[in-house]
Parts: sequence; C-alpha cells; structure tokens
Amino acid sequence: MDLRLTKTQNMFKRAAADFVKVEAPSHIVTEWFRNKATFLPDLYRKAANLGWLGMVVPERYGGASASFTDCAVVFEELGRVPLPGPLFSSGVLSALLVLEGASEAQKESLLPAICSGRSIVIVAITDKGVDWGTESVETRLTNTTGGFVLDGTKRFVYDAEGATSFICAARMENGGIALVLVNRESPGISITPHVGFMVSVAEVRFDRVKVAASSVLGEAGAGWQILDGALQKALPILCAYQVGACQEIFDFTAEYTRTRVVFGQPIGRFQRVQDHCVELSIHLDAARWVTYEALWKLDSGLPAAAGVHEAKAVASEAYYQVCNFSHMVHAGPGTDYGHPLMAHSLMAHTLYQYLGTPLHHKRKMMDALYPRGKG
Amino acid sequence: MDFNVQADTQEISVFRKEVREWLQENMRGAEGLRWSATWSTRENEEEYQFRRKLARELGEKGWLFPMFPVEYGGAGLTIDHQLVLETELDHSGINLAAVFYTLARIVAPVILKWGTEEQKREFLPPMLCGEVSVWQVLTEPQGGSDIATCHTKAIKNGNHYVVDGQKTMVGYHHPPDFLWTLVCTDPSGPRHENLSWLYIPGNSDGITIQPMSLMMGIKNTVFFDHVRVPAFNLVGGENNGWRVANTHLELEHGGEGRVGADPLVERVVAYCQQMRVAGAPLMEDTSIRDIIADMMIELHAVHLFARRNFWHRYVREPHPYGGAQFRYYQRMVRLRNGERLQQIMGCDALVPNLTVNEVVDFEYVVRSGPGMLHGGGTLDTDRLVFARRVGLGRPTKETAPTTI
Ligand SMILES: Cc1cc2nc3c(=O)[nH]c(=O)nc-3n(C[C@H](O)[C@H](O)[C@H](O)COP(=O)(O)OP(=O)(O)OC[C@H]3O[C@@H](n4cnc5c(N)ncnc54)[C@H](O)[C@@H]3O)c2cc1C
Repeated sequence: MDLRLTKTQNMFKRAAADFVKVEAPSHIVTEWFRNKATFLPDLYRKAANLGWLGMVVPERYGGASASFTDCAVVFEELGRVPLPGPLFSSGVLSALLVLEGASEAQKESLLPAICSGRSIVIVAITDKGVDWGTESVETRLTNTTGGFVLDGTKRFVYDAEGATSFICAARMENGGIALVLVNRESPGISITPHVGFMVSVAEVRFDRVKVAASSVLGEAGAGWQILDGALQKALPILCAYQVGACQEIFDFTAEYTRTRVVFGQPIGRFQRVQDHCVELSIHLDAARWVTYEALWKLDSGLPAAAGVHEAKAVASEAYYQVCNFSHMVHAGPGTDYGHPLMAHSLMAHTLYQYLGTPLHHKRKMMDALYPRGKG
Repeated sequence: MDFNVQADTQEISVFRKEVREWLQENMRGAEGLRWSATWSTRENEEEYQFRRKLARELGEKGWLFPMFPVEYGGAGLTIDHQLVLETELDHSGINLAAVFYTLARIVAPVILKWGTEEQKREFLPPMLCGEVSVWQVLTEPQGGSDIATCHTKAIKNGNHYVVDGQKTMVGYHHPPDFLWTLVCTDPSGPRHENLSWLYIPGNSDGITIQPMSLMMGIKNTVFFDHVRVPAFNLVGGENNGWRVANTHLELEHGGEGRVGADPLVERVVAYCQQMRVAGAPLMEDTSIRDIIADMMIELHAVHLFARRNFWHRYVREPHPYGGAQFRYYQRMVRLRNGERLQQIMGCDALVPNLTVNEVVDFEYVVRSGPGMLHGGGTLDTDRLVFARRVGLGRPTKETAPTTI
C-alpha cells in the first residue's frame, strides 16, 4: 500500500499548476464564464503544446503513453480553474473512443490530429435531456446509395462549439447503434448553444446529413459497447477535474472564513459556518479517494467498472454539493458572477448532467456488481 | 498509488496463506458462538473466553500489533502484512482492533510514544500479547466533553499517587486489568498544565465499578476512593498530561485509521437476494437498489478515509484534519444506515440476530446509531477539532500531533 503520487506525477501536477496560474488568473476566468465564452482556441493550442491532449494515447498515435493517474493529476489542476474547453471531451473521451473502437486506419488518421489539437472531435450521445442510456439514442442512420443519411437532434453536446467534427451515436435501421464520424462543415449540421444555468453545451442538429460508409467508427452495431468501453476509462479523468475544482473551492472558502469579519469576528469562528466547511470537505475527500482508487484499478488492470461509475456519481455529486456549501459560507458575494464560485457553480451543474447524473451512475454501479435477474 | 497489496509479492502470498491456515485452525470451535465484536448488551461468557483465547494466540505471534516493534510484543511487520491480517480476520467476522474488550489499540501507541524505556518494557508486552485488558478512563460526570476540567485528583505521597474522584461512561462488561486514567495532579495549577496519566491496576484497593446499562451496551461509572498507585505508573511526565492527551485523542478521534473494512453491505445484499416480496427477490426492486447504492457509496468513502488516515499515521505525517473528518462522517453514516436498514428490511431490522457478528447484526446497527455518536467525544468536538486544524476563522492552523 502506498498512497503517494510518484515523482513524475508531482512534476506533471506542478507544470499544470504553473500553467493555469499564468494563463487563467481568476479575474479573467470569471469573465469567460460571465460571457459564456468558454472555447478559447489560443489556450487550447497552448495546452496541446504541453502534451495534455491524448496523454493516455500510445506514443505511436501521437500520445504520451501516460497512465490514467498521470493524466488525472493534470486534470485535477485544470479543474481548479475550472479551465474550460474540449481538453477532456476531445483529448480524453474521443481519443479513447477512437482507440477503443476504430479501425487501424481510422486510428492512424484521427488520433495524431486529436493529440496535436488540430482536430477537435466531440461525442454526441443523447437525444434526450433526461437520459444517457442506450434508449436515449434516437438520431437515425439510414442506408442510401453510396452511404448513409444521419437525421436527428442531439442535446447537451458538451464543447460542441469548438468541434471540427462530431462522433454521433445513431440508431440504425436494424435497431443497433453505430458511431458515425461527421465533419462539422457537412451540410445540414447546425449548432445552437443551450441557454440556461450551464456552460459549454449546445444542441446539435443533423438535418439529413450525408455520411460516407467509411465514416462509421469500427463495427457498425457495436457503437454502444465501444462508447461504454471508452467511458469506463475516460470518466475517472473527468472526476479528477471535479476533484481539483472541489479542492480549490475548499481552499478559498477556508480562506474566506479567516478574512470575512461580521459581528466583530471572523465568520470561521461561528460553529454553523464551520459545519458547512466540514460537509464541504467530506464531499471533496470522498470524491478524491473514490476517484484515485478507480484510477489505480484502471492502471493496475483490475476490474474497474463499478468503481468508475461510483466515482462519476460521487465526484459529480461532490462538485455540486461543494458549491452549495461554499455558497452558504460566502452568502451574498458568492452569487456575483464576478466571484470565482460562480464559474464553479455553472461548471458543477453542467458536469452533474454531462455523461449521466449521479443517479444514473449509481444504478450502473449496482448493475455492474449485482446484475438484475440473478436472484 | 497503490490502494492495496497490489500484486502479492512472494513474501506476502506466503504470509496470506499462513494467516488463512492459522485462522482455519484457530477459529475451530467458534461456529456456534454469537459474536459481539466491539461491545454490546449481548454478553456471552463462552464467547468472551473464546475471544480472549484467540487474542492470546494472535498476540503470541505478535499479530495483534503486527507493525509494532518485536521487543514490546509486536511482530515488526510491514503495512502490507497488516492489510493481509485485517482483511483475513474481517472474513471471519473479527476486527483486529477489537478482538476482545480492551482499548489497547489506543493506549499502547500512547505509551509507546510517551513512556520511559522501563515503562514500555513493563506495560507494553502484556498489552500487546493480549494478556491484559485496558480501559480508557477520561470522562467525568461534571466535565463531559471538557475533559481538561478534571476533578479526579492524584496527589503525590512518597512513591505513590493517591487517587480520589469519579469517572463515567467508561469500559465494558468485564472488569479491566488496567485503567488508563486522566487525573489532575496539581489542583491549583493552570488549565492544561495540571494533568497527568496513570496506568492503574484494576485490582487496586479503593476502586468500585458500577455498571450502567446504555442503549448500545454496558458502560461503567468508576469510583476512586484513596486508590494508591505507584509513581512508576505515571506516564508522560507529571502535569504534562494534556500533551499526552493530544496523542491519545488524535488516535481516538479517527487518526488511528484502519485498513480493513466492515462487511455490512454484503450482508444486506445477501438478505435482499433471499427475501422475496411480491414474487421477486427484494434485490430486483429499483428503490431498494438505490438505497443500497447510497449505503455502499458512503461506507466506501468511510473506509477510504480510514485507510488514508492509517497511511498518514504510518508514514508519520498525520493528516491535518483527517481524523476528525473521518469520525464525524463515520458516525453520521452509521446513523443514516440505521434508517436505511429499516427502509430495506422493515421490522426485521429491529430484531436481533444472535447468530451473526454484531457489526452486521442489523438490529445492533440500528440501535447503536444514535448512541455511538458520542463515544470519545461528540460530533461537535469532532467539528471543533476540524475547524482548528483547517484554521477556520483563525490566522494559524493547529497541527495534528504525530502518533505511532
Ligand atoms: C458509546 C460511548 C462510549 C464511550 N466510551 C468512553 C470511554 O471508553 N472512556 C471515556 O472516558 N468516556 C467514554 N464515553 C463518554 C464520552 O466520551 C462522552 O459522552 C463525551 O465526551 C461527551 O460528554 P457528555 O456525554 O457529558 O456530553 P456533554 O459534554 O454534556 O455535551 C452535551 C452537548 O453539548 C455539546 N457541546 C459540548 N461542548 C461543546 C462545544 N464546545 N461546542 C459545541 N457543542 C458542545 C455536545 O456536542 C453535546 O451535543 C463514551 C460515550 C459513549 C456514548
């Protein structure tokens, strides 16, 4: 047993921390979120140059052959900001999706471009706001001469704005699910940002978009298994991002209890305020340890499915609750869009939904441990 | 990171095999016994004797304190051995930290840190080998949470201290061999500079033990009436007791850590797989599965906090607030699980099942939930310690004491 990070991991962590300090100071970040201007091409390019896209992708495809934990420590620091942009959605999830299910030729053409940041590939999964299971895939893929036609509307597509192409989960005529790679510029695609208490998400409409037969990723009909396989590995990285966010909130909230004085004393001397901080810390540390345990399982080749779903449930719930407890401590000033907490609150609500709510993942965890119909 | 003995090394697999075989041999005869793990109202003399014997046998191998130095009765093994021992014992329903009624798990490390060489050689081996039982004796009726306001006096008289006073809510069903007792050695001295710790033989004249029947089991009031204790038994220096108490309380307040895990969820699942309602096993019911999921997730976090704390203790870098955080959370989770058990299994959750270990006796979990919130300090003291360690509303952070 050894619960320390390795030397290399500490180095990665420091590099990421230094980067965000320079590139994403708090007053600029609050402006991004206030204006919902969360796709920042320059920043994305710089992050790509540091090798943070496709870290877990093998070197022969342009990645860094890093472990999941290596990658997670970087994302933990990015989550502190919270740094927006498709670093996770393209650089981790799509990269793993291609790695998991694409043909060799597709890997060779897609992965180096994703890892270098030249391509931003975004996965579009659900047609329904309320569900992320197989049933939520309704966009249809129909055979035509010389290829397919894609027709439907994807909701809650995270980081759609910066996409150069989409991987769209689509329902085939035989009921199976295929993953189809579609260039963003294809005629018939329109992107409408979701308006509301969330960031970086859009509705993507595929209006009779023509796609070539060669655009199907891997085996048609195996789309859901491929997606599931990729999520199994990608989710804990997203969790690490949420852990970083929770840690940052814990730190600035504790600091606020020292500096804010009312009724003649720092608010941290009020036991009720202390209670908020205790609850906050429990969510933070539960998320931290469940996440790093899941990462350890992945890196060690142990069965990880239940642990991964658990981590997504715990980390998303934690981020959400940590924001709420921090709001209780900050009261009025924390509700100002100029306050760093608001960027986190927006992000926390978004990630609570993204790729499935805590309840969705708790149920997946239970199904992985105790399949139904087995008494 | 490595959360486990990742791939058993040759040495560890040999050890695991040895522990398994040893348990098979030494747990023989325990099948018909009802287990009461830590302490409870379900007293059974036969079981108690079995536990004492098991503890002595574990102690003989140094396995009660696997990582403690051999010269004091430990086994001088590594954290991975500890993990193997705890996990294998968990399978048999035994918690290594509570094989029988004693609090050696807290008292031994305090004496190891604060005792003189002579005291360690005299007090530790019998405790580490499971030969003697020890209670921690801090709480007083007047002081309650405020243990530094200590009215139990120990006044020096030649080579002895003479102890007078009263403690409450301490110990177990069986009388102790020793009482690890917080006393006031300087009644006119300033707060926090007037305390000391005495390791008092249980058979000393003048000690009266009066059992109290509480919702979770037996505790006692102890009266000290002119009890003469050899000056040799004062550990950590006269009037230095508050510093010693810090070590003690850090361990008691969650800093002790634990690498093993309790099997409550598995037992709940087993119940739900067997129990059929409306023609189907309870385990098929979505709302039941949701409740079990919450229970499992919270218990898992409790377990990871305990493991983290053990790790920090082991590398001698105490977690700043981990102890208090763990203990507050563990006890709230326990309380919530009491209600969850009632939601899942209805009135079955209120009927004791004397055939199982009390950790997984559902009735005990339900009943002890509200009572176990206060042992060794309340939820409020936990949160108070947390606030100081994080430095909430304070310019400086109180540092966590290093324990052993
Ligand atoms: C299961 C169990 C096992 C125990 N085992 C032992 C043992 O082995 N040895 C031993 O010595 N004692 C033992 N005790 C006693 C235990 O340590 C005390 O119950 C505990 O310290 C609280 O004291 P009290 O019960 O007198 O509560 P009080 O101190 O009277 O507290 C009453 C209420 O006031 C609150 N309160 C007190 N101070 C503050 C504060 N500063 N800020 C906010 N709220 C505050 C408390 O949280 C509580 O809600 C045990 C108790 C239990 C329940």
